[in-house]
Amino acid sequence: MSEAIIFTLLAAVVVIPALLVVTLKNVFHSALWLIVSLTGIGGLYVMLAADFLFAVQLLVYAGGIMVVLLFVILLSGKPEDWKVAQVNDKAVAAFLFSLFFVFIIATTLFGWQIKTTLQEPRLTTGPLGQLLMNQMVLPFEAISLVLLVSLVGALLFTVKKKS
Amino acid sequence: MSDGIPPQTTVAEYVGAFQAKEKRKQRSWRMAALQLVLLVIVGVVAVSLIGELDPRVRRGADLLRSLLVMGRAPAWVGVSLLLLIPALLLMLLIQVIPLFLVWWERKVAAHMQVRLGPMAVGGFHGWAQTIADAIKLFLKEIIEPDGVDKWVFRLAPMIVFVPSYLAFAPLPFGVGLVGYSFDIGLLYVLAVSGLSTVGVLMAGWGSANKFSILGGLRAAAQIVSFEIPRVLSVVPVVMWAGTLSLTGIWEAQAQPLGGWFPKWFIFYPVIGQISFLIYIITSIAETNRVPFDVPEAESELVAGFHTEYGGMKFAIFFMSEYAYVFAGSLLGAVLFLGGGSPLFPALGFIPSWAWFLGKTLALVFIFLWARWTFPRFRVDRVMDLCWKVFLPWTLINIFLTGVVLLWRGL
Repeated sequence: MSEAIIFTLLAAVVVIPALLVVTLKNVFHSALWLIVSLTGIGGLYVMLAADFLFAVQLLVYAGGIMVVLLFVILLSGKPEDWKVAQVNDKAVAAFLFSLFFVFIIATTLFGWQIKTTLQEPRLTTGPLGQLLMNQMVLPFEAISLVLLVSLVGALLFTVKKKS
Repeated sequence: MSDGIPPQTTVAEYVGAFQAKEKRKQRSWRMAALQLVLLVIVGVVAVSLIGELDPRVRRGADLLRSLLVMGRAPAWVGVSLLLLIPALLLMLLIQVIPLFLVWWERKVAAHMQVRLGPMAVGGFHGWAQTIADAIKLFLKEIIEPDGVDKWVFRLAPMIVFVPSYLAFAPLPFGVGLVGYSFDIGLLYVLAVSGLSTVGVLMAGWGSANKFSILGGLRAAAQIVSFEIPRVLSVVPVVMWAGTLSLTGIWEAQAQPLGGWFPKWFIFYPVIGQISFLIYIITSIAETNRVPFDVPEAESELVAGFHTEYGGMKFAIFFMSEYAYVFAGSLLGAVLFLGGGSPLFPALGFIPSWAWFLGKTLALVFIFLWARWTFPRFRVDRVMDLCWKVFLPWTLINIFLTGVVLLWRGL
């Protein structure tokens, strides 16, 4: 029972700020609400006993990516840019597409066979490391390579050419 | 003349006065050294008489539990009380630590500049100065400038402060003295302390002030950059200890090598020292202190992101900075200095919490020392230092640790 209450609260912390992100006019405020939403997702990970994922969610999303996002907003925006219109002529198409997306997710979720076990939740950090370094080493390295390529690409775009 | 030499004297009188002054100085040095030794001896005796705090804490918890059972309270009351009491104690601690550290910082600064620092308030070396300052800050009017983004401006100090409090949860203070021990303690501390950057950016943007916004931008760039070598510098420790739990990392360093030499991580040849140096320097950069104080550089940005904050709101920024200094030092003591384990087994009669306190304060002193000896880095040089020096060295360090671990057969 208490778990249901906590889940409802966390879901509210995820969903309401997420709605605010897309409805608020001020981009800076939207970004701040997105941080709240991402932290709420971290809370859901804690409920699922995925403690490592929770810490990484805070470290990478709330603490890293979102700070860089705020940084970009502060550097790029002119004050009048913070009050631009939020709907353009593709609103109807976007709405239909999101409805389709919701439909896909709903059918997937309701068709899901959920198994429950009485097993104690195990520690995640150690097994995760073993998995990444043994069975999953090829995808892991592939992702690392993709990230490295994107880093080098970003450098290529930003470094000024000496004439 | 302040040094007791009267004007218009002969050479012989001058030399005599000078020699007398030198003798006085020597005597005062000797007295100070004697006082220091006595202080250390009295401190050690007092601390060993108090002994380990763990059994008392446990007895107190048992007493509370049995009282609740006698009072027929439901189970959740006991559980939440046993979680709430450490939380409240940590809250008190985080408010007392800045008071002490600010006083200590002012004394250290003063003595490094050959002055005395606060001496008047409270009698003994001005110990009550920061308490008086805190009362003054409490009584100040809170001023909100026109044109601020109201809620962002108001919430920013809280968003900076709350993570600094949360970061204390898994930090151990001695055997059994830990707010809430969990398996990913180290990662949690590093992750939560990164959240304060959001508050700094909010303060910078919400103030509607050019100095603030520049300070906020600089702070965000610096903290996000230095977080990477900071996290990577503790990876070798985790590789050696094989756990992310802070208590586990400390226990991995507890058994002395060959029966007498401390197996602290800082004594591991080359790897340990590089890790420790990078950890301490990046911790100083994370707390925005000199020599990395470009976000609040007084000579360029007035006060950076907290230019527009006054009274208690400013004090909260200040408290969080000192809380981070203490938390970083405590974490450094756990990771590199063996936590609560004694230097030599013969010194085992000093309880673990005293070792913790001593090591932490020693590391805090490094923070203060650096602040009052180094000039400020230039903004671009800070970033160069982070990305071109620390990052490669941490990666080399991790590689070396991996090689050694493989060679030893894990």
